[in-house]
Amino acid sequence: MELKDKLEILADAAKYDASCASSGAPKRDSVDKDGLGATNGMGICHSYTPDGRCVSLLKILLTNFCVYDCQYCVNRRTSNVPRARFSVDEVVKLTQDFYLRNYIDGLFLSSGIIQSSDYTMEQLVEVARRLREEHQFRGYIHLKTIPDADPRLIELAGKYADRLSVNIELPTQDSVSRLAPEKNVHTIKLAMGSIRTKLDEKDEHPKAPVFAPAGQSTQMIVGADASDDQTILNTAQTLYGSYKLKRVYYSAFSPIPQSPSSVPSAPPPLLREHRLYQADFLLRGYGFTAGELMPNAGNLALDIDPKLAWALGNRDHFPLDLNRADEGMIARVPGIGLRSAKRLIDLRRLRRIRWEDLSRLRCSLKKLAPFVVTADYKPAQGAASSELLRRTMADAPQQMNLWPELQAA
Amino acid sequence: MSAIDQQRAGQPLLVETFAEWREAARELLVHDVPPEAVTWSTPTAGGDLFSGAPSTAEQPHNSSKPPSPAPDAPPRHPPPHVPRSLMDMLQSAACCRVPDRWAFLYRVIWRWQQGEHEVQSPADEDGARLNAMVKAVRREEHDMHAYIRFRERPPEAGPPRFVAWYEPQHDVLPQVAEHFISRMGKVSWMIATPEASVLWDGQTLHNTGPLVKNSEDLEDTGEALWLTYYRSVFNPARLNQSVMQQHIPSHRWKNLPEGKIVPQMISEASVGARKIGQYEAVGQRKGTTIPIAPEDAQPERQQPSKLDECRRCELWQFATQAVGGEGPKKAKIMFVGEQPGDQEDLAGQPFVGPAGKLLDRVCEAAGVDRESIYVTNAVKHFKWEPRGKRRLHKTPAQKEIEACHYWLEKELAHVKPTVIVALGATALKSVMRTANVTLKNSIGHPVFHEGHWIVTTYHPSYVLRVPSEEAKREAFQTMVDSLKLAHELLNRQPEEPPA
Repeated sequence: MELKDKLEILADAAKYDASCASSGAPKRDSVDKDGLGATNGMGICHSYTPDGRCVSLLKILLTNFCVYDCQYCVNRRTSNVPRARFSVDEVVKLTQDFYLRNYIDGLFLSSGIIQSSDYTMEQLVEVARRLREEHQFRGYIHLKTIPDADPRLIELAGKYADRLSVNIELPTQDSVSRLAPEKNVHTIKLAMGSIRTKLDEKDEHPKAPVFAPAGQSTQMIVGADASDDQTILNTAQTLYGSYKLKRVYYSAFSPIPQSPSSVPSAPPPLLREHRLYQADFLLRGYGFTAGELMPNAGNLALDIDPKLAWALGNRDHFPLDLNRADEGMIARVPGIGLRSAKRLIDLRRLRRIRWEDLSRLRCSLKKLAPFVVTADYKPAQGAASSELLRRTMADAPQQMNLWPELQAA
Repeated sequence: MSAIDQQRAGQPLLVETFAEWREAARELLVHDVPPEAVTWSTPTAGGDLFSGAPSTAEQPHNSSKPPSPAPDAPPRHPPPHVPRSLMDMLQSAACCRVPDRWAFLYRVIWRWQQGEHEVQSPADEDGARLNAMVKAVRREEHDMHAYIRFRERPPEAGPPRFVAWYEPQHDVLPQVAEHFISRMGKVSWMIATPEASVLWDGQTLHNTGPLVKNSEDLEDTGEALWLTYYRSVFNPARLNQSVMQQHIPSHRWKNLPEGKIVPQMISEASVGARKIGQYEAVGQRKGTTIPIAPEDAQPERQQPSKLDECRRCELWQFATQAVGGEGPKKAKIMFVGEQPGDQEDLAGQPFVGPAGKLLDRVCEAAGVDRESIYVTNAVKHFKWEPRGKRRLHKTPAQKEIEACHYWLEKELAHVKPTVIVALGATALKSVMRTANVTLKNSIGHPVFHEGHWIVTTYHPSYVLRVPSEEAKREAFQTMVDSLKLAHELLNRQPEEPPA
């Protein structure tokens, strides 16, 4: 099979991995050195595809042959898809060629499980080893870790890769055992735990060997099982707390060819995925807990963002006097982000905050109006009901599809 | 001629680079010249469009010459001290192609000099513009880092091996060249833009004339693979054009090789391929299922222990694993702690964290061999609540202690210790099987209960947590004494009343 054909199949098979970050690696450069590659900690998106996703890495599978039968996965053993397998050298060469032309910042390598977990993991590690040791490649490398693999292989992977990830795939143990019979939440958690232990070791002993400096991440599929957003966010929070994950990625389930009957045949609205990312950001950056965002079972509102939903449900905190409140609370006001909150605090040291300042900081005035008090402004809507406010601030309603079958065909 | 002299002669101040502006601005500030009194100008064209770097030789000024001091105008101010953060912003903003950039920068620095420090804040009117200029320049740098596409030249053409064409909207070529130097190592390359070109020969950077005049000038067979990848990694089921346009504005697409196939991909996705996520070319190929029996696909895994499968309470959902006891199977003394902590949860062993280290020291001080003791916890799963990105220990509830007692009983039946040392209140409640006992009343008063001596003492994390040094020493001593007492009890008949 030609390299081009393999690339076609194995890139197509890898597109369900939502992770695309190439940030967080330590600074490296190739000035006056053999080999190539640099990382500056920031990561760059080199392109965007029409699905709005960024291309920053060569994201491929080493092979899409797979002995597992995960129902949501296009590469499951019972799936009738074209199969291919890259040689280690082909991936190494492709990575360098793409890198030289400035198409990518590095490699994201995953694989179907062939022969055994250890064998598969060995192959992944070998690609990274050859890139790093034989070709002095200093770009970004992200390896997908096979949870059942020998911990020594995971340790080796962490030596070569900037980031490791183990996919939890589904938010509950029940769903995993039903939809991914060969997988096991227990071993997935143990693998994440062993990665965290290694990361901690490196933090405590700076002279310890390098281990996955850009940390670890995971992915959860949304909409393949019946779990609601509350369950998903609670699982995410558990994972963040327990394994110091850099990111949890949410991947809205994509219907797959010859879909098995155990998974839905229609995708969830992409907006649900988007709201989960917004809520996730509130967990990571703003100090919200999952319980605050989702006190009850169910899904996040689709018509308003999670921060606005929280503020409307907690009117007793508002209106907030921007000239007195602390930074964390200012950042919780809908329409004011982390950066604006910091800028307001900085400005407050020089003078009192006025309405005009909010407009210059490009905060969303429509959103924040009922929630803030400034030196020259007191909200008239302070007493308006949350229901009324919600109606004025919600996204415009959209006409439903009259003939969804036609649109999907 | 110095900046001051030029102003006096009524000439506009000709400035081309940031360094020149900085010199001139410093001199003007020293002489207290307000921004309204200065006119700035820029060379009309950046040199000949295709002759490489603009030449400065014919310009009517020479910035490398220090400005001659005007004897009749002594400096009125010491040179300004501008913070690094503002200087960096000014330097970035200077790359922004707006006609009045030098005048605007001078107004900013003048205002700063007057004590109006909010001029740096985006909430200020000038500050907002300054920040917007900086943002535009950074964005352009970023876009150039991201959207330059190198094309490989045939080896017989000689260096440079890779050539790129780009049309930057601001003057960012020098800093972008630095980025590619660090990225490409010893590989030679060239970046051509309408104004200037740079060539990296593997060792040094040269300003040169361009080898190419637009993006169509070079063919590269390697590009076909990239287009294949770009097409295949796109998921037609998720077509979301507006997000794409938000990230790459349409004027960028014309110089990107993938830009030419985007419209076709969009139309294909919107008519047919949307139903499934698979790219058409892949979907048409012949498929294969993997002939392997489900049982052969099972990974080789250790059978989970019964404890690992425990669902007697809800704690298992949030923990990594159940942590059982550890130690000699015939130990005479058993330590019962509260529950595994953060590190124990990851390691799967009891008392491996800071509390475990303290326990080692207690054993040492009491002269008891830690290796001879069986160590376990009243509750086997870690109970915690989130605090930021960390797990904060949470005391288990009575119903969880009761649910987990099943496992403690099994351990007790198996090890049959003579003495149980209950570390802390939770352990005490668990071994006494009642909530009506207090730590305070039990310390120093061993009881004989269900066939074991029970000695109560503090939990080691209490010793670690207690704030005052004196209380810490006392608590540590209490633990040592309790352990000594436990050791004595090994040889005492249960009928004897406790000491």
